[in-house]
Amino acid sequence: MPSRTMTKRELREQRRAERLAAEAAETARSTRHRRLVRLLAAVGVAALAVVIAAVLSSAGGKPAAPATPQPAVTSVLAGIPEHGGVLGSPNAPVTLTEYVDLQCPVCAEAARDTLPQLIRTQVRTGKVKLDARTLHFIGLDSQRAALVAAGAEQQGKLWPFLLAFYGAQGQENSGYVTDGFLRDVAQAAGVDADKALAYADTAAAQQRVNQADVDAQRLGVNATPTFTIAKGDGAARVLQKHDIGTLDRAIAQEAKA
Amino acid sequence: MRLASVAVALAGLGIAAYLTIAHYDGGTTVCAISHGCETVQHSTYAKLAGIPVALLGLLGYVGILVALARDDEPARTATAFLALLGFGFSAWLTYVEVAKLEAICIWCVGSAICMTLLAALSVARLLSAPPLGRPASG
Repeated sequence: MPSRTMTKRELREQRRAERLAAEAAETARSTRHRRLVRLLAAVGVAALAVVIAAVLSSAGGKPAAPATPQPAVTSVLAGIPEHGGVLGSPNAPVTLTEYVDLQCPVCAEAARDTLPQLIRTQVRTGKVKLDARTLHFIGLDSQRAALVAAGAEQQGKLWPFLLAFYGAQGQENSGYVTDGFLRDVAQAAGVDADKALAYADTAAAQQRVNQADVDAQRLGVNATPTFTIAKGDGAARVLQKHDIGTLDRAIAQEAKA
Repeated sequence: MRLASVAVALAGLGIAAYLTIAHYDGGTTVCAISHGCETVQHSTYAKLAGIPVALLGLLGYVGILVALARDDEPARTATAFLALLGFGFSAWLTYVEVAKLEAICIWCVGSAICMTLLAALSVARLLSAPPLGRPASG
């Protein structure tokens, strides 16, 4: 069927509709283009920001290299007896036990910031005796360090060994805990290094380290440093924090009990 | 899409708020034995330039929710930018958890999923919105 001839008005309207459709298509196209450009810019800026954040984050996570072991802080420990790894008078009524991993940087911090005051005010005065359990959850370096620490304990010098180790602590699991490093730490702590390293290879040293793990699991110790406190032969309870205020309050509480 | 984004952002806000509270109320710093949130929260990666990452996440979700309050072109672009930023940073943190800390924090994974969803939703919302000059349906 032949199509009807369009009137001038219909032609005008058709052209107008076509023009509007073209304009709408152009608007949509330019809007889409502009949005894509904005989106790409947003992706680029976000990616740059993430890279900067990652670099900052990585820099913050880079631990220091090990230092040369220095003689243990003798003024802190001088004159305080140590028997079987327990620092202080055997008659002290309260026992604080610190669970540590020698590679743990927070343990080193606590040794620097908390232990000197604790030892001066509580251990040296005969109120508290300080025990230690060396765990090795951070890695193989921790295990070797814990075994040699058992050798130092055999010589009645666990605490000087711990403090000397913390003073020289390096990057976790970087392999810095070599026998040479441990020998330097032992010597700085006044420990017979040959004997300590030889003892580290014995079943007794392994047993000591295993027992620390067993004790930690029994008490639910899941972080280091963690202190437990006990009066006399009573049951140990785990302290949730390790700042000097918490320790002093817990000791005072146990002493009253 | 906007409503779905608000819902996801609120879920992420809840997770980030929990992690921020846990960070500030988690006691003194420790080396954690158990792998998981404790390890991640106490790692050196838990802070960026001294600011807890959980707090940064919280601020990110607040920013996204503020941007979602409006439904115009700049707000849609801002939402997409913040969500992409959050997605990228979440991806980096997830890599750190798996490759460096060898510990997975389920709450952090939850937040990363929220950021991924928000990035997808906000990009789709930005690209699919009607051309300028016509009211947006969201």
